[in-house]
Amino acid sequence: MNVLDFVSGLQRKGVIGLNERNLRLVAELNPRRLMRLVNDKSITKRLALSAGIPTPDLVGSISNSFEMRNLKDMLTYQKGVAIKPACGSQGNGILVISEPMKDGYRLANGRRILFEDLKFHVMNILSGMYSMGGLPDTALIEERVHFAGVFDDISFKGVPDIRIIVLEGVPILAMLRLPTADSDGKANLHKGGVGVGLDLVTGMSKLGMQYGKTIDLHPDTANSLTGLQTPHWDEMLTMAAKAYEVTRLGYLGADIVIDAEKGPLLLELNARPGIAIQVANRFGLRKHVEPVLERDTSDMTIEERIAFGKEVFRDVHPEPPLAAAAE
Amino acid sequence: MLRLKVATQTAVSSQLHTRILALALVLAGVLIFVHKTVRYNYPIFPDDVRTVWNLEVLIEFAADNRPVRIEAFLPARGTGRDVVDEQFYSGPFGLRLAQSGDDRNRRAIWTYRFPEGLKVLRYRTTVIEESGATPLPEYMRREIERVPPPFESTLEQQAFLVWISNLRRQSADAESLIELMLQEIFSDTLSDEVAALVPPLPAPLGRLELARILLESQGVPARIANGVVLEGPRRRAETVSWLEYHIADRDRRYFIGGSPSAFFPIWYGLDELVQAEGATELSTQVSLQPSRLAGTSVVTSRAARDDWVLNLFSFDNLPLTTQLVHQVLLTIPVGIMILVFLRQFVGVQTLGTFMPVLIGIAFRETALLSGVLLFSLLIALGLALRFYLERLKLLLVPRLAVVLVFIVLCMAFITNLTVGSGVRLGLSISLFPMVIITMTIERMSIVWEEYDGMEAIKQGLGSLAVASLTYLAMVNPQVEYMMFNFPEFLLIIMGLCLLMGRYMGMRLTEFHRFRELAGPR
Repeated sequence: MNVLDFVSGLQRKGVIGLNERNLRLVAELNPRRLMRLVNDKSITKRLALSAGIPTPDLVGSISNSFEMRNLKDMLTYQKGVAIKPACGSQGNGILVISEPMKDGYRLANGRRILFEDLKFHVMNILSGMYSMGGLPDTALIEERVHFAGVFDDISFKGVPDIRIIVLEGVPILAMLRLPTADSDGKANLHKGGVGVGLDLVTGMSKLGMQYGKTIDLHPDTANSLTGLQTPHWDEMLTMAAKAYEVTRLGYLGADIVIDAEKGPLLLELNARPGIAIQVANRFGLRKHVEPVLERDTSDMTIEERIAFGKEVFRDVHPEPPLAAAAE
Repeated sequence: MLRLKVATQTAVSSQLHTRILALALVLAGVLIFVHKTVRYNYPIFPDDVRTVWNLEVLIEFAADNRPVRIEAFLPARGTGRDVVDEQFYSGPFGLRLAQSGDDRNRRAIWTYRFPEGLKVLRYRTTVIEESGATPLPEYMRREIERVPPPFESTLEQQAFLVWISNLRRQSADAESLIELMLQEIFSDTLSDEVAALVPPLPAPLGRLELARILLESQGVPARIANGVVLEGPRRRAETVSWLEYHIADRDRRYFIGGSPSAFFPIWYGLDELVQAEGATELSTQVSLQPSRLAGTSVVTSRAARDDWVLNLFSFDNLPLTTQLVHQVLLTIPVGIMILVFLRQFVGVQTLGTFMPVLIGIAFRETALLSGVLLFSLLIALGLALRFYLERLKLLLVPRLAVVLVFIVLCMAFITNLTVGSGVRLGLSISLFPMVIITMTIERMSIVWEEYDGMEAIKQGLGSLAVASLTYLAMVNPQVEYMMFNFPEFLLIIMGLCLLMGRYMGMRLTEFHRFRELAGPR
């Protein structure tokens, strides 16, 4: 493949690079003073609650070593807990605990952790090891999300989540992120998770990618990634669009998980969502971004925005995904 | 609709704004550059010059409310050499200049009755370098009468006679006698006769003085010259001593350990460069800076001296030591610009934003290969310690401190090891940035834990590669010369960085990242 074809291919698909994302999307659409609303997960949680967006219950938080003595109590939470740095990024520093066991706790990936080690981990969170700029941080202890459903066959030891990109309140692209053995049960793509493009109109899964390469089977379970219906799809789109209403961030990534009992829960919001979603969707962001930026969406209701997003998506990806899969 | 228009308008206007600003900066830089080169004929390449040197003597001492007298030798004038543009910084001290009777030495004498605290005196001049071909003054060329050696004890006189008669026997004429004699005086192991004759003076001076005495005893005019060797910019140049004599109608100079190609004598005789009375903690620093000025150019041009643009964008009026610091500082933006390019256009991942440039600056002290080795070694050792500390479960900041102390310890160790083996590396790591190394270790170990070792090593190597590139750019003589003599390039660099700040295209590495989306179809 010669260089010109290569570049023109990227151009035709409207692929956006990091430089352009930073300048045209993040810097233009996300005022810095609003960023803190999503940088600190405890603030995000409060905002979501006020807007009626369901999130995992907060069991408690620890912001200084004095509060460490409450840690043990919090860990007895029935459903298990996830310990997160409030200002963490890229999923770093998150521990998921399923149940207490002899001398310690069982982690979601099956390994055991001693209570001493757990305390050390929380201390590291407090001292800012995972926070941006190394500032002192708070550890959030949330209820653990129990996932059950259609994606069980294509997840390996962990909880899949759904990332929806919302541009000026309009959902434009979505992908499913699946944990793998490589990613150690985490759904982060740069740790080796699998990204699967979702049809924004139907919520149906398309082809997947791992490490920037196209795949159509899950690398660990070898089940097909294609043609699975995401449950509660329209509800998720509504949650993502509502997240814009409360944060006013023009370029927003909403991360949603599906709990077996509670349905979709908003896990966190991201003011600098990555651009790997383009590989998962086999298409560049630009073709989805431009129609939205050209329209004035400020007077639209949430329903109108979702309908508009679906319309734009269908323009760019005309054929229904099932037909594509059948080929 | 209106709101969106406004949004796109601000986007367009900030793009335009940046471009105009960048253009203005680049244009201003280019204009000043052209002004200098065309109007005043500034040389663009460093090779055109290096014949003129800025020499500075900085004397620091502590005074204790007692009368102080400081004497320093200055380059003599009017002996065929040209000393241009002298400046004295004397503070409250009284300054007197004295020329010795035989015109050989010139002295500055600073005096003050009741000085208190730390004092600084400074002397600056521009000199033209001398070489082995530079003629000696007339009085050195005249035949002199044989001067009897001033040895007092009979033992010394006898040793002298034995030695000289030995030399006579072994030599063919006066010239070869002198050659043999010098060879014996400056050989590593002295014969007993010679050892008995060397006057009790500090290291090279004793033998030089003995040589001078012997030369004059044979009727050859000779003197001991003291000065500096001109090799390149030096912040602390050492003064050296050598012998000058005239034999068989030829001017000769004898340097211990080989003749340098360029040097400059400051004074003659056995005295120290600076003598102080009433002062304590005396320290003398001689610094050297090759200057762009080729004989006919700017320094002699009145017009150039009154040109405010030229004065604003030049460092000629600063003290020499400050100039040398600026010479290093001014190259840093070049390194930064390369870093910006590699990050925004190529997409190289580094540990920490400016870390590679800081490491690159540190390489100045160590040179590239040993710098890279030292850096890798320290990082490897630090990472090993960091992984071990992981078991002890320490808090973040104390852990960083332990790693930092360990790094300093390693550096001390390496210094000791390498000093013994004669490698220069050990002595040059003094400025190696241990804080940066510590932070690098911490970042690398987090990447290592969160991702894997490969990723950590990849980012480490990326940083090292960028550091090496920026280092090579920063020590390039042409870059150094251009940045120092044409600081207006800073405006151009700033403009370019502004433009790069609005670059929205793909990074080179993103072509690989999105390879699945590329290609015809």
